[in-house]
Amino acid sequence: MAKLRHIAIAAKDPDAMAEFYCKAFDFKIVRSNDGPLAYGHHLSDGTIDLAILRFKSDQIGKGMDYTGLHHFGILVENVDEAAKRVEALGGTHYMDQTNPERTGGFEVKFYGPEGVLFDVAEHPWTGTEPLPVPAKEAAE
Amino acid sequence: MPKLRHIAIAAEDPEAMAEFYKKAFDFVEVGRPNGVLADGVFLSDGTLNMAILKFKTDQLGKGMDYRGIHHFGVLVEDVEEFSKKLESLGARHYIDQGHGGHQAGYFEKKFYGPEGILFDIAEHGWAGAEPLPAPVKEAAE
Repeated sequence: MAKLRHIAIAAKDPDAMAEFYCKAFDFKIVRSNDGPLAYGHHLSDGTIDLAILRFKSDQIGKGMDYTGLHHFGILVENVDEAAKRVEALGGTHYMDQTNPERTGGFEVKFYGPEGVLFDVAEHPWTGTEPLPVPAKEAAE
Repeated sequence: MPKLRHIAIAAEDPEAMAEFYKKAFDFVEVGRPNGVLADGVFLSDGTLNMAILKFKTDQLGKGMDYRGIHHFGVLVEDVEEFSKKLESLGARHYIDQGHGGHQAGYFEKKFYGPEGILFDIAEHGWAGAEPLPAPVKEAAE
């Protein structure tokens, strides 16, 4: 089964917000980045990536001053197969990761029902748990 | 360590949205909440509870027509202890679950963190979500 492994927040001050969640819940900063899409920090609780980002473009059509929960990400076994399923169900492809050296982040972004943005990746987000080993494989 | 175990989406049509995520990612329906705050569908990926909800009040101050990711929830060992810690860090308490005590599978306290971000904390866990890992000492016994 696919797994929710990423939650992204749009923040004005990612440094202060990341510090709050690190202090409050002992989450750890596992990556900080200033890329073409956003500046900010990725926190991990050991399982999930909580990204606190100042976005550089309006990906969700709520304006550049939007702050709040932004999108989530799902770890899948196979991105191409997941993409076909999502599109067959009416999801809209938004963009692909264009940096071939960037692993541990989104690989493809889609809009699902009601325009909700989500990422799909087959490589775990940095600092997150991989997919569980299938029962059959684990028994071997 | 506390764990992210809940994500809530504000939807106009929770049933249709839930069908999409069930079919796309094999998430499993684990409940149909129908409360004073929201109606909708609870899904699980085996680790997190994904709540797809039609809210009945404007909890975020973004208007009743807000659609998108709404809040998240963190499973903690002790809600009272974490409430004190959160407030000492500047978070603002919003509401507690119900007036009749604990209602299993739902949030227990809601807070606004920096920039007004809404999140829940709970110590009993959301429907379909994994419990906290056993502490290392306890697991070794």
